[in-house]
Amino acid sequence: MSRYIALFVQPLLALALAPALVGFIRWLKARLQSRRGAPVWQPYSEIRKLFGKEAVVSHTASWLFRATPFVVFGTGVIVASLAPIVIVPAGPLVVGDVFAAVYLLLLGTFFLALAGLDTGSPFGGMGASREMTVVALTEPTVALSIVALALNAGSTNFSQIVSRTLAEPSAALGPGHLLAFAALFIVTLAETGRLPVDNPSTHLELTMIHEAMILEYSGPYLALIEWAAALKLLVFLALAANLFMPWGIALSLSPVAVTVGVVSLVSKLGVLAVAIAVLETRVAKLRLFRVPELLSASFVLALLAVMSTFLVR
Amino acid sequence: MDGTFSQLVMLGSSGMLLTALIVLWRKGIPAYVTAYRWQAWLLAAITGTVAYYGRDPRLYWVAALLLALKGAAIPALLGTMQRRFGAQREATPYVNTETSLVIASLLVLFAYVLARPWMAVTDLPTRQGLPLALGLLFVSLFIVVSRKKAITQVIGFLMLENAIALLAAVGTRGVPLLVELGVFLDALMGFLVMQIFVYHIHETFNTIDVEELARLRH
Repeated sequence: MSRYIALFVQPLLALALAPALVGFIRWLKARLQSRRGAPVWQPYSEIRKLFGKEAVVSHTASWLFRATPFVVFGTGVIVASLAPIVIVPAGPLVVGDVFAAVYLLLLGTFFLALAGLDTGSPFGGMGASREMTVVALTEPTVALSIVALALNAGSTNFSQIVSRTLAEPSAALGPGHLLAFAALFIVTLAETGRLPVDNPSTHLELTMIHEAMILEYSGPYLALIEWAAALKLLVFLALAANLFMPWGIALSLSPVAVTVGVVSLVSKLGVLAVAIAVLETRVAKLRLFRVPELLSASFVLALLAVMSTFLVR
Repeated sequence: MDGTFSQLVMLGSSGMLLTALIVLWRKGIPAYVTAYRWQAWLLAAITGTVAYYGRDPRLYWVAALLLALKGAAIPALLGTMQRRFGAQREATPYVNTETSLVIASLLVLFAYVLARPWMAVTDLPTRQGLPLALGLLFVSLFIVVSRKKAITQVIGFLMLENAIALLAAVGTRGVPLLVELGVFLDALMGFLVMQIFVYHIHETFNTIDVEELARLRH
């Protein structure tokens, strides 16, 4: 019974925190660029405003266009319930492992690309084709860094990976662990449309990727997609934090453990958000033709991680 | 105790390998110099770790020398060289960036396969660094053959030298101070000679692109 509660409460918490994470990164970026910046809770107001608006849908759009926001949002919520965000969902109940989580998120991306193509606007097609290029390049890295983690733990189950790292803290200092973390961090930036790959703060630019795909969306649909994008960022960062540095995560449902879990999650997300904000202030967006170089670098990192865990036994 | 030791050595060795990969990935010469400096610091740190856990105080001297010579002096000289030639970029290497990164990972894989029997016979706590050191050796050789600018090739050669030093640090329990001194002098002499060569190339051809050497000028 308690596990069911965990499975339902965790996505709600993630949904509640996700806009604040995006707002925090934006605010921090603004401060670093000596602007005042919108308050941290600005994304909540944006989402509420969008839900109050009318949705305008193109005449040429098919059912795919209307279904996509729900698919994207739904897969995000499912992953948030599977992943170790605050509580490690242990036990036989949980069907999902790392592969399920990653490919559920990928399903959302796939539908987003389809919806971008669906309306027939040139921007949507451009964004979809670019997104597919980036995703095709990040997938091998994601799979390999998962394999590196799973080889250490002997399982692709979240709870096994987490408990293995908790049981053997020196493994977290091993190169396999650190290299896989670095690879997954680069992939997170690429998959969530952050700066070296995509610029999250532009709406009308020829270089955009994620924004180009969702250009046709408005009103509640757009609100759902924006929320799901924030949720995806939170899930990826929480995965990166908790799979590699699981200390503080709640192993039981006792109030103390859950409180510690929430506090440690917020502080880990805070550290990663600061890292992202500083990175986004320091680097410029890569030209599209240099994105494969960055992603192949992350692929090499993941490959080295697998080698150092698999070949040195 | 041995566990922490081997973890630290492995961490440092993979850091050194990463700095070599940065040279393959980035295009600007200043980034290469920074990568080399980081690599030298990591090498000094590994030597210090070997000295601490192997209880060999003479190795501290080696680490200090490494820090002074490779961590400070050579990067400073490289910086002077780079400033003298202006902003030269490794725009079109013989092998493009993506391919060279993949080739580098294959070279590291090869190093792992190659180091396997060696790791099976030795019981050094640092043996896990062996494949990484071999991998660094191959990757820096690859930098030398796949890049066009003379200064990048010099950095590749210096990294090759670092790889040999790393191999000595992890493959044995550190090398005697006397041998290290000889190697230092050789490395420094080699670097100075190469520096003079690069200056001459630049003077004659107005570029440090070694492809231009095929062109007859005089």
